[in-house]
Formats: sequence, C-alpha cells, structure tokens
Amino acid sequence: METVTEQSVEERDLVAALQAGNQKAYQQAVRKYSPGMLAVARYYLDYASAEDVVQDTWVNVVEAIRKFEGRSGLKTWLHRIVANRCKNRLRTANREISSEFGEELEPGIADRFQTGGRWATPPKLRFEEHAESLMENGALSDCLDKHLSALPEQQRSAVMLYEAHQHKAEDVCNILDISASNLRVLVHRARQKIYLMVETFQESGEC
Amino acid sequence: MLMCRDLARIGSDYIDGKLRPAETISVRMHLMMCKDCRSFIGNLRESVRLIQSHSDYRMDEDYATRIDGAINDALTRQRGK
Repeated sequence: METVTEQSVEERDLVAALQAGNQKAYQQAVRKYSPGMLAVARYYLDYASAEDVVQDTWVNVVEAIRKFEGRSGLKTWLHRIVANRCKNRLRTANREISSEFGEELEPGIADRFQTGGRWATPPKLRFEEHAESLMENGALSDCLDKHLSALPEQQRSAVMLYEAHQHKAEDVCNILDISASNLRVLVHRARQKIYLMVETFQESGEC
Repeated sequence: MLMCRDLARIGSDYIDGKLRPAETISVRMHLMMCKDCRSFIGNLRESVRLIQSHSDYRMDEDYATRIDGAINDALTRQRGK
C-alpha cells in the first residue's frame, strides 16, 4: 500500500480532482500554489523567467500529476519540480548561482556592540507589548511588504519558504540546493532586517 | 562567557530550538541577567511572527488567467490522445 505522509483530506481531494483533469480544481490550485512556486523560481531566475518556469511547470503537471503518489505534500512536490526546471535552465544557459553567505549579523545589528561584545546601542522597545496593534497596522504591513520585496532574492526565497510556507528546513535546503548552515544564515539575516525595519517604524513612524 | 553579541548571532537558533542543551542553558542564564538581550530575543520573535503572517508574492490575476489558458490547452491535448 502507498504511504501517505503529509497529505490532508482536503489536499487528497484536490489531487484527485487534478488527476481527473478538473479545470476548476486547476484554477484553485494555480492561485493557491503559484506564489510559493514563484518564491522558489525567483531564487534562481529573474522575474520574467521565473513566471515562465512556473507556467511551464503547471502545463507539465497536467501529465505528471497522474504519477503523483502523495509521498510528499503537493506543495513540496510542486516546489521541487520548479526548482529542478530552474536548475536545468541555468545549466543550459551555463550560468552559476552566486552565493554570498557567511556573516551571521546584519551590519545594522553588528554595529551596535561595544568591542567587548556588550550592547552599545541596545534595543529600545519591546515589540511584543504592541504585538496586536503591530499586526493590525496597515502602514506597517505595507512597510513589511516593501522590505521583504527588497531582500536579496536568496534571503527572500529562504525566509518565505521557511516562515510563510512553513516548509521543514530539510525541504528548503533540498529545494534551494543549500546546506543547513547556509539556510540558517539566510533566515537569520532576513529576520534581522525585518527586526530593524520594525524598530525604525516604531521609533519614527517611517518606513 | 556568552556575550550579547554572541547571543545576537545565535538568536534565531535559540528561537527555533536548534541549540545544543548546554548552549540553551548558557543563553537562558544570559537572558536572566540581561534585559537588553531579553528585548532583542522578544523582538526577533515578533519579527518572525510578522514574516509568518505576511502573504507572499501576490498572484496577479492576468498571470493566473494566462496559466489557466495554458493548462486548458494541455488538458485538451491530453483528452485528444
């Protein structure tokens, strides 16, 4: 018997509808899964090429879904296909993905310590005291949007897949072809950038 | 001894529960004594919550419709086989 590990009932129904060639199911799936697929593709390619790869992947899914066995979740399966297609495209174009990993601290945080390692400019505010209003603040949400869009693509893809799409670290490493320690640095750097953004926003009301 | 800068370096590992037990104990000891680092960790946690609650790439409806069209063509070809 086939082992189903990560699929919910809702997802199994969706997969069955996709396998049956149901157009409405495809429309629903395209809107639900494409944002994450774009996040994967943008790790490797420019925006226009990323959109192409995601569209090609969906066309490919029409055939491939028949062989989908539910060993991984549908989202992980789709993300892996996108990653493989991107890697093939890069190989064809003979391009390498540049990797800039290393420093764990964002300059904006690293500059705030004394030589001995204590805080010189400590955090001034506690965000959590304002957590609820923070989440409901439309201006902050716009600012977050702007700052997430401005993250280097590798950080953005890593943090989106790990946080917003809640992939396991192991899956993100697999999809993006990076080591666990690289993922760790990418995610920590992205979090610090957002930290600095919220701090500035709270202090000055400006993005 | 663990300094504030070290704690900032491994803040995400602490939040994600990825430190070794001995490291976790050092971090907790430091946090007990250091208000600034408690703020830092609390704020980093809130930053994670904000990112998690944020929607990803917005799906442009024109783009989604283009994909629908490409899928419909593929479905038609498949049925014709």
